[in-house]
Amino acid sequence: MIVKFWGVRGSIPTPGSETAKYGGNTVCIEMIFADVKRRIIIDAGSGLRLLGDHLLAEQAAGTVFKTDIFLTHTHLDHIIGFPFFTPIFIPETCLRVYGPVTCETESLQAVIGGQLSYRYFPVRQQELAAHIDYINLAEGCFDLGDGIRLTTKYLNHPLLCLGLRFEYDGQVCCTAYDTEPFQNLFVTDLHDPAFDALMAHQGEAAAREENQRLAEFFAGADLLIHDAQYTQKEYTASRKGWGHSPMESVINAARRSDVRTLALFHHDPMRTDAQLDELTELLCDPRRTGDTDVFFAREGMRVKI
Amino acid sequence: MHAFSSHQTSYLDQIETYVARMPSLSTTATKVLEMCNNPQSSPNDLNRLISLDPVLAGQVLRLINSAYYSLRHPVSSLTRAIIMLGVNTVKSLVLSFAILQQLPIARRFGALSPVRFWEHSVTVGVIAKSLAEIKAVHLTEQEDYFVGGLLHDLGKIPLNHQFADETRQVMALAGQNGGSAVNAESVIFGLDHSMVGGLIARKWRLSPTFADVLTYHHRPSEAAVNNAQLVFMVALADRYARSLENDADNDTWANDEFAAFVMARVGLDASTLAHVRNTVLAEIDRAKIFLEISQRKSGHDR
Repeated sequence: MIVKFWGVRGSIPTPGSETAKYGGNTVCIEMIFADVKRRIIIDAGSGLRLLGDHLLAEQAAGTVFKTDIFLTHTHLDHIIGFPFFTPIFIPETCLRVYGPVTCETESLQAVIGGQLSYRYFPVRQQELAAHIDYINLAEGCFDLGDGIRLTTKYLNHPLLCLGLRFEYDGQVCCTAYDTEPFQNLFVTDLHDPAFDALMAHQGEAAAREENQRLAEFFAGADLLIHDAQYTQKEYTASRKGWGHSPMESVINAARRSDVRTLALFHHDPMRTDAQLDELTELLCDPRRTGDTDVFFAREGMRVKI
Repeated sequence: MHAFSSHQTSYLDQIETYVARMPSLSTTATKVLEMCNNPQSSPNDLNRLISLDPVLAGQVLRLINSAYYSLRHPVSSLTRAIIMLGVNTVKSLVLSFAILQQLPIARRFGALSPVRFWEHSVTVGVIAKSLAEIKAVHLTEQEDYFVGGLLHDLGKIPLNHQFADETRQVMALAGQNGGSAVNAESVIFGLDHSMVGGLIARKWRLSPTFADVLTYHHRPSEAAVNNAQLVFMVALADRYARSLENDADNDTWANDEFAAFVMARVGLDASTLAHVRNTVLAEIDRAKIFLEISQRKSGHDR
């Protein structure tokens, strides 16, 4: 299994000299299962445009372009590249797009394909040449064929968002973004007029159990790609509840769950290359990370599992 | 398997169609819209709001446990649902029901008073939770007692909404005989609200415990062994709530055969229940202030 990062940035594309090293494209990951000639794409951020062009350049003339795209959720930074994915304009393309949506009222097709309407884009969804199936994804275990298995789990983000655990030939690649540690959202201060003992207690138990389930979800992964948008200091100061994780606590959680390699991912748009280099020195030192190999994901990087 | 007569089937067919799009109570609708559109509203407020509308609470639990989310661990607690799926997801669920509330069908409530129905549901929930506390039920399970009490009479809504004339006859008959609404419903409809409650529980795939509460709160001995304690407690809470609503004195209601049987079964006595009276009344008042019901009562309680 080979994993290639085509976009590692969160929130919004950030082109410029200060982000050239780690990359400014938003989230897109390619997984290659060479033995069975399968390719799976995770998320359709702005990095998807580069991936699409690369795939078309590589493809032999006359072959059918067929692939699956798994969307962790439908926030803009994870779908913005979809209209610019050139294969959707080619009649031979067969695409399956999987993803969660918040509520029954709008379909995945409407949410993703809605970007292809004249108000946003010069081509409408109905005019696309490719054959595209949209499939709602929820929590569960799925057989994707060719020996690839997928397990999904809801994460903690302001929008319904899925973690993805792919298993193939004894190897595990797991994503856990966008997410932050589950927390008790209810008032716990006894003196607050809104305090409710039952809510406070239930909230505490639920948060603890969900964090435990998340740790079990990525336990033993050969590669864990995890949200690490903030430092602990930033998170504690003003970013709680924004749906992104502090990098220090991610490293600790990955170590506790015996993760072999941890890719810190979904970099804050304000984070410069120089800062990421400094954080690498500070946080990714093997003396600190023990048996878990930790790095900040970089656009164009390939990881062989 | 229960066989239905053609008389019952005709009612049940109409009820099934209604249950699929059952609107929430008008008593909470304004607050739902206000809270969901306010970015400052807290998870505590959201939880409280859902917990004060039996239809909304049931619908949220239905959706959360539906194949749509396919959660591996079924959720019977609204608190847990908010932690697991997040405030925004739960808000958007709640809003989708509030939109149903805007449909013309939701503006008429039928023969029952919506405020009285709401008050009774919340009262039973609060009493059941208080009794669970007295019986030292573990904190993590106490919310089930509240939600069970809140949902117990859901079966009345389709009957009342779809068949307002028949419901008026039920109320008249129950009044004349001094008997219960359940018996009167059986006479008029050939079925009662607990049967309809069971149908709602199946349609919404509510947990087996809540399904037993809706179906057996008038016949708690028929509940599954695992659910018996909760069903009995809700049955007792229901009976005690009615005595509070009718201002019955302690001796009168406690001498009621059914109440005595249920109290003996759960190991509580009338004096213990009397202790929760003030707590219950205070909670109902707080809920009314929260939902601003007193100001709107005249508009809805017709």
